Amino acid sequence: MTKTIADGVKPTVFVGMSGGVDSSVSAALLKDAGYNVVGVYMKNWSKDLPGMKCPWADDLADAKRVAVKLGIDFKVFDFEKDYKQKVVDYMLEEFKRGRTPNPDIMCNQEIKFKLFYDVAREQGADLIATGHYAKNDGKNLLRAVDENKDQTYFLCRISEDAIEHTIFPLGDMLKPDVKKLAEKYGLHNAYKKESMGVCFVGDVGIRDFLREYIDEEPGEIRDAETDNVLGYHEGAIFYTIGQRHGLNVGGGIPYYVVKKDIAKNIVYVSQNLNNEELWTKSLKLTEMILRGDVPEIVFVRLRHRAELIPAMLKLGNDDTAELKFTEEIKAPAAGQSAVIYTGDAKDSSKARVCAGGGIIAG
Amino acid sequence: MIYLDFAAATPVDERVFKAMEPYFLSDFFNPSAPYLPAKRVKEAYEEAKNELAHAIGAKGADLVMTAGATESINLAMSVASGKILYLTTEHAAVRESARRFGLSFEEIAVDKTGLIDLSDLRAKLSGDVAMISVSAANNELGTIQPLSAIAEIVREEKQKRLARGDKTPLYLHSDASQAMSLIDINVRRLGVDLLTINSAKVYGPKGVGALYIAHGVDVKPLVFGGGQERGLRSGTENVPGVIGFAKAAVIAKEHINGNRKKYEKLGAILREELKKCAIEPVFLGNKKHSLTNFCTVSFPGIDAERLIYKLESREIYISTGAACAASKGEKSHVLTAIGLSDTEIAGSIRVTMGVLNDEEQIRTAAREIVEAVNEEAERTGLVGGQK
Repeated sequence: MTKTIADGVKPTVFVGMSGGVDSSVSAALLKDAGYNVVGVYMKNWSKDLPGMKCPWADDLADAKRVAVKLGIDFKVFDFEKDYKQKVVDYMLEEFKRGRTPNPDIMCNQEIKFKLFYDVAREQGADLIATGHYAKNDGKNLLRAVDENKDQTYFLCRISEDAIEHTIFPLGDMLKPDVKKLAEKYGLHNAYKKESMGVCFVGDVGIRDFLREYIDEEPGEIRDAETDNVLGYHEGAIFYTIGQRHGLNVGGGIPYYVVKKDIAKNIVYVSQNLNNEELWTKSLKLTEMILRGDVPEIVFVRLRHRAELIPAMLKLGNDDTAELKFTEEIKAPAAGQSAVIYTGDAKDSSKARVCAGGGIIAG
Repeated sequence: MIYLDFAAATPVDERVFKAMEPYFLSDFFNPSAPYLPAKRVKEAYEEAKNELAHAIGAKGADLVMTAGATESINLAMSVASGKILYLTTEHAAVRESARRFGLSFEEIAVDKTGLIDLSDLRAKLSGDVAMISVSAANNELGTIQPLSAIAEIVREEKQKRLARGDKTPLYLHSDASQAMSLIDINVRRLGVDLLTINSAKVYGPKGVGALYIAHGVDVKPLVFGGGQERGLRSGTENVPGVIGFAKAAVIAKEHINGNRKKYEKLGAILREELKKCAIEPVFLGNKKHSLTNFCTVSFPGIDAERLIYKLESREIYISTGAACAASKGEKSHVLTAIGLSDTEIAGSIRVTMGVLNDEEQIRTAAREIVEAVNEEAERTGLVGGQK
């Protein structure tokens, strides 16, 4: 860490405040610890619904309320344009290519730990902080103590420089204790409902969101085993591998999406969970980001909160890599992230370092 | 609790609540049903409409009951067969519906106090204007508009059109939502063709409004169905709501003079106390032509939102500008229109008094506002900290 309280100087920390309980408690803890705390609400892009009250207004008000309660400065950073371009457009492009991107990971990489970090530093911040459940030993990004809340999966692509200058005040805490602290600090949002899913999509599901930006194009749903047409869909890009719901095909035993032919706009489904398309023993990754030297034997997490799977990591050229597993794993959708954890080759509970990640190819 | 946001919402008067109660519990019948108890409900409904209409110098048949001022305003704007002129400081309901229903629209300027610029109105009142909408009193400043003078300009224009054989209709609409409980509203004296009133601002229930329609104004429905309200607003009548609105309007009318004096006195105390702030307050609005319960004031350099959050933790509830504008994260179009700087706008609060307030409350609130302003001024270094 660049500056600590012990140095006798009061470092300035810009805390990203979303209006939720986690970032609010983070700000309160930092203030108590003696930092010069500035609360910042990042105004990210939200869909423009004519005549509708903007969905972020309440969150902004909640964040500002807490700032006033704590007696700290409060700013609003307007990142709408960048967010639209770097997160939303990226997401739409990926979907159009038939992939399933993770916009939260992109948001952390491009907005919260890059743009916010840069602007905060420009405006005099020594450090930044967020309400993420993650830890930081000054150099490495580490898993949070609360295994249930650990958000390192979403933070896998942030830069070493950002990590070095970030404080995660909640890294050693359990969520129930954070709520208790919020009460102790008298924060009005102690029991605010947690936001779920992609923030800018809001209450409408991701599919409804996509429909507004991507034209529907009817196509066939075929049985992956028999090639029979089982029904029709409104666009293969709206479907994700492994998806079970909303397939418009018969009742009874559920069908799973096992394959998509984007060029022909065909969705292949199967009732057979053992269908070979659903399983794999290796994954090809692109756009690898790794922090520090990473051993060959690692642990991999394929979605937020999923178990850590042992794997062999082989780095290729041009930021590519390949993961090999000892047993077959359920194949994740292309576009999702495989996140690498290191620190122990055998015991996943000791592999605390989130060393980076790559995008699943396909 | 010290509630000082009566321009946003008013509590339902207990007498109003009592008058409504039987129409929820026992006399719940559909006024259109064929049996006698239902017929009695229908009669009570019509009688309430008459009372409400009398309160604004009209007849029951001149009113179309709606689900609130926004709907009334939309219905009024839908009458326009040409260009709509509206005051630049009008509520969003007027601005948005005028943009939707008018063939075109233009804004009429106001002066620094929020008062209409009559010469601007005259200049913009071209032959294709079909509707003019000017609120009786502004909802952020409390500035009362000279409706009779505006009506006279409208009358002259109508005469000119008739003289040249031009049949383009021209109507004057006024949104009297804020004004109704504080000044005497009489449609004939004001000379309006359409007038919007709102129960929620006069200690009646929310979700009830009315549009007064003068004879000869050709209104077409926006809501279709069973043909209630002479076909202009279908849907089963909101009997308890309208009973409550009528009762509230009658009570408000009885107390107009008493209340005006009360708020004048309390307002003077409030202004005097606020001058004790470390930052000199800038009082907004028109000294002469203003709703007496309004005190909109700016503390330049202070973040008004922070004041509101500070005061809310002391159970004092005030507002910045209009609630809608604030929650949209936009700066107030009203305060922009009267020529305030961004700093002045950001430092503006709106205090609106009502029946719950007394002198003690006003003094307490004033003291807390002064304290909050001073704390903020000190925190941001606007004034030096004295210990």
